[in-house]
Amino acid sequence: MKLEGEFTFSGPRERVWDIIRDPDILATALPGTKKLDLVGENEYEGEMQVRIGPVAGTFGGKLIVSNEVAPESLTLTVEGKGKVGFLKGSGDIVLSDQGEDATLMKYSGEVQIGGRVASVGQRLFDTVSKSMIKQGLDKLNEAL
Amino acid sequence: MTYKFIGKRIKRNEDPRLLTGQALFVDDVDIPGMLHVAFLRSDYAHARILSIDIEEARQRPGVVAIYTAEDMGDDWEPGPPLVSPPPTLEGVIFNSRRQAPLAKGKVFHAGEAVVAVVAESRYIAEDAVEDIWVDYESLPVVVDLEKAMESDSPLVHDDLDTNLAAHMFQKKGDYESAREQADLIIQKKFYLDRGAAVAMENRGIVAHWDEKSQHMTIWDTTQAPIPIRNGTAARLGLSEKQVRVIAPFLGGGFGPKAMMFYPEEMLLPWLSMKHCRPMKWIEDRRENFYATTSERQQVHEVEIALTKDGRVLGLSDDFLHDTGAFDPYGLTIPLNTQCHVTGPYDIQNIASNCTAVFTNKPIVTPVRGAGRPQGVFVIERMLDFAAKELGMDLLELRKKNLIPPDAFPYDKEIIDQAFAKFVMDSGNYLPVVEKAREMIGYDQFIKEEQPRLRAEGKYVGIGITPFIETTGVGPYEGARVQIEPTGKVNVATGIGTQGQGHFTSFAQIVSEQLGVAVSDVNLVSGDTAQFHWGTGTFASRGAVVAGSAVLAAATAVRSKVLKLASKVLEAPEEELEFENGTVRVADIPRQSISLGELAALANPLRGAVEPGSEPGLEATDYFGPAYGATAFGVHAMIIEIDPETMMIEFKRYITVEDCGTVLNPLILEGQIHGGVSMGIGNAYYEKMHFDESGQLLNASLADYLIVTAHEMPNRIEIGHMETRSPFNELGTKGVGEAGAIPVPACFTQALENAFQDFDLEILETPLSPNRLFELLQREEHEE
Amino acid sequence: MTKLFKLSLTVNGNPYERQIEPRLLLSDFLRHELGMTGTHVGCEHGVCGACTVLLNGDPVRSCLMFAVQAHGHEVLTVEGLGTIDDLHPIQQAFWEAHGLQCGFCTPGFLTTLVPFLEENPDPSEEEIRVAISGNLCRCTGYQHIVEAVQLAAEKMRA
Repeated sequence: MKLEGEFTFSGPRERVWDIIRDPDILATALPGTKKLDLVGENEYEGEMQVRIGPVAGTFGGKLIVSNEVAPESLTLTVEGKGKVGFLKGSGDIVLSDQGEDATLMKYSGEVQIGGRVASVGQRLFDTVSKSMIKQGLDKLNEAL
Repeated sequence: MTYKFIGKRIKRNEDPRLLTGQALFVDDVDIPGMLHVAFLRSDYAHARILSIDIEEARQRPGVVAIYTAEDMGDDWEPGPPLVSPPPTLEGVIFNSRRQAPLAKGKVFHAGEAVVAVVAESRYIAEDAVEDIWVDYESLPVVVDLEKAMESDSPLVHDDLDTNLAAHMFQKKGDYESAREQADLIIQKKFYLDRGAAVAMENRGIVAHWDEKSQHMTIWDTTQAPIPIRNGTAARLGLSEKQVRVIAPFLGGGFGPKAMMFYPEEMLLPWLSMKHCRPMKWIEDRRENFYATTSERQQVHEVEIALTKDGRVLGLSDDFLHDTGAFDPYGLTIPLNTQCHVTGPYDIQNIASNCTAVFTNKPIVTPVRGAGRPQGVFVIERMLDFAAKELGMDLLELRKKNLIPPDAFPYDKEIIDQAFAKFVMDSGNYLPVVEKAREMIGYDQFIKEEQPRLRAEGKYVGIGITPFIETTGVGPYEGARVQIEPTGKVNVATGIGTQGQGHFTSFAQIVSEQLGVAVSDVNLVSGDTAQFHWGTGTFASRGAVVAGSAVLAAATAVRSKVLKLASKVLEAPEEELEFENGTVRVADIPRQSISLGELAALANPLRGAVEPGSEPGLEATDYFGPAYGATAFGVHAMIIEIDPETMMIEFKRYITVEDCGTVLNPLILEGQIHGGVSMGIGNAYYEKMHFDESGQLLNASLADYLIVTAHEMPNRIEIGHMETRSPFNELGTKGVGEAGAIPVPACFTQALENAFQDFDLEILETPLSPNRLFELLQREEHEE
Repeated sequence: MTKLFKLSLTVNGNPYERQIEPRLLLSDFLRHELGMTGTHVGCEHGVCGACTVLLNGDPVRSCLMFAVQAHGHEVLTVEGLGTIDDLHPIQQAFWEAHGLQCGFCTPGFLTTLVPFLEENPDPSEEEIRVAISGNLCRCTGYQHIVEAVQLAAEKMRA
């Protein structure tokens, strides 16, 4: 499934970059995140509580940052598993200046889900993931 | 032939129990000490199992045991091949890969059982499933049929070089030379997708091993209890006499319940023996979408060769057939497709090339129609395109090519699902077509009604589609008929019943012979302790094959009755008649004796019986047809499409059926109505959506839409014609699948007809309102 | 172990008292605790309607309710409608009109129709189709069911 969108931060690009590269801030921004630890260079391990319609459960997994061009772009790769299914995906994030004090983030990626979240939650996945991204980005914007 | 009971609208013997909640279904079985089983199933469509951690689950109070494939030791073995490829077919390639009771090392489709949990209650068993952690390494997944056959495709079974499950080529005449003589050649490619059977009752099994009596009783939602008994005995090292399989009332079958052995069918009896306690497993709806078989995905590349006056010279069909991750059911479905792809038409040159393909999807076995709807869709679509190219009326084109009545028995020279040559027993097709044409008002609709409604801005279309249905195939069924001293009649047959009304239609056959009220005939079906020879209820064969066996046994009892009554009443047999549970001398009604009294006399407690005589008024007999009986019919519909929502309203729905002798019109109508409802689902609402990683995205009844009372036509008008089958004494042909078979073909034709202005060309089924909208948008953009 | 709840309710006119887990579904309670297996479970998520029972006269999905929610209430199941020898008019009409085949979904249709026909003694075909649109049947194509409801209405009016 494709995920695509954009978001405008009310802050300069370097500030936005710092925030999305800070695991502590990131952990507070991703809805349902129970923990997010840096375990290697650009590699995080974490746990996340997700609810998609009738399906709820904890996903454990990895988040890897690659193709990093500071403060412009990076690639995020996630792989998570839980008792209600699994999730795999990767996406590109590109930041660009939007005037003096604003930054435009464009993201596009592909996510694959499996197990109960797919077979029962599929219909809602699109909406839920969009709203989770929106919530997360709003939180990051607040952190600015 | 005039009948007194056969052919009458008699209400069903089984209904009062079903209506009051007193009928036994598998999940109703409750035995003291019973344990409950739940399965952990794979989230992945293709993955290596790296590790399974069951420790936490084991600690949970109420959990009795947990099994992985490794825990089964030497008892772990895949299910037996159910149907081997036809030995009568030359050059067939078949790679047999069978499902295992629990996945070992690898999973091949999402929903495959990996761990079995045994617990004191189902609730606890399900909790414990959640406690288990399985670590998988995901492997590349094969979903698409065409991609699966490309040389760089990942492999479902890596011990094979390709994803080829089977290959078979069948022919009649010489297609190539037909092609050379043709004035018109049309080539098309069709995509047909998968749907689920969705019986309202999910599957379930209760297995009860009684250690003291060394006896196993199994209640199973199976359409084939006798093969289940025989196979279970063989797997467990028991004698067949030690195993009793009961298929009680089933909440619908529709094909998948004839699959065997499901992993759960292998496991539950084994677990019961292991723990010496009764075990129950009831499938839930989500499991049903993955763990129960489904059907219909094929890709056809077709070519048809015609003369300019519309005579079909030949048909070539090269198709891929999805068999899912395993192929225990052999080639039944594609063989049916090969038999039906030339339909009721006299086509002398046929080339049919089938490649069955392994994919990482649930196992494919027959679902009501079983490969027939695919064949019918292909030929009817091709004829629609041909009519358009030739500027002919599509019904005239069909009439020109129907097999004429004097050509029967007609040999298609194609091997069918029974491994016999597909010989069509009888038929008189043209009058059936004409009747349907008249009932739907075809000419008037085309000439007057449609232009008028189109002018009003309405999108209305007509579809009219003939089809055949191979039914009543062998090998055989049997029955035992016995008159009790009470005068009631017991009948036992081996096939199971899933709502088809056997309790009544078979009773009617017996009543016809013995003159007893239908309600006085008590049928037991699907209990191996009552009758243990037979194969099962599938392929629209119950009424034809088991019905004929019932007739044979009832006829044998009738002659025993006559013989005894003749002695008792001191009158020659020819002068005796059966009336209301008695035998009487034709001209002297007072001189009579009841069947019950005769039954008592036939089983004396003292005195000598004549040498060679058998006790009681009982007989067992069998019926095994050399060829099936091929039914014929026409469906016709007028639909209106809302161009905003793409929702459909059926303005008219007509079926004309020729299924030979009708046993009970009420039951026949019910079968047709139900078939049509499934067909409408198959045509426009039902599709199993697998994503490219093999995940089924609509595994619930909230997302997988079967038709409700709203999507159905208000009235299905049914016309009958009767061409008795010469291959069985009843003269009957099956009708169980007929309702579903032609609907996608007919519906698609009607849609195209309604959207003539758009030049819409539909090459796929099932459609949906969304998909239709997309197709129309595409047409508009191209224009 | 979860704390048990002392449930008392009336089913088909008879009072029952059982110690049950709070999470026990009403459908499972009726079927497996009381042995009233006429109520069937077809989808466990409230779509198919096979498990429909009447709670204080209103149709509810017993697979979507906990048994404890029925505490102190009256439940009517298919077993409470009529008996084999004395069928309820709706049951009788289903029999005569061949409104069932495998019979698995039937109890849910019957219970749905009891209050419907009480409120609508002379329903139109469209009203009948709306009334049964929440009940799935895979065997009949609904036509004979609709006819059965019309026949039942006729019988009940007489």
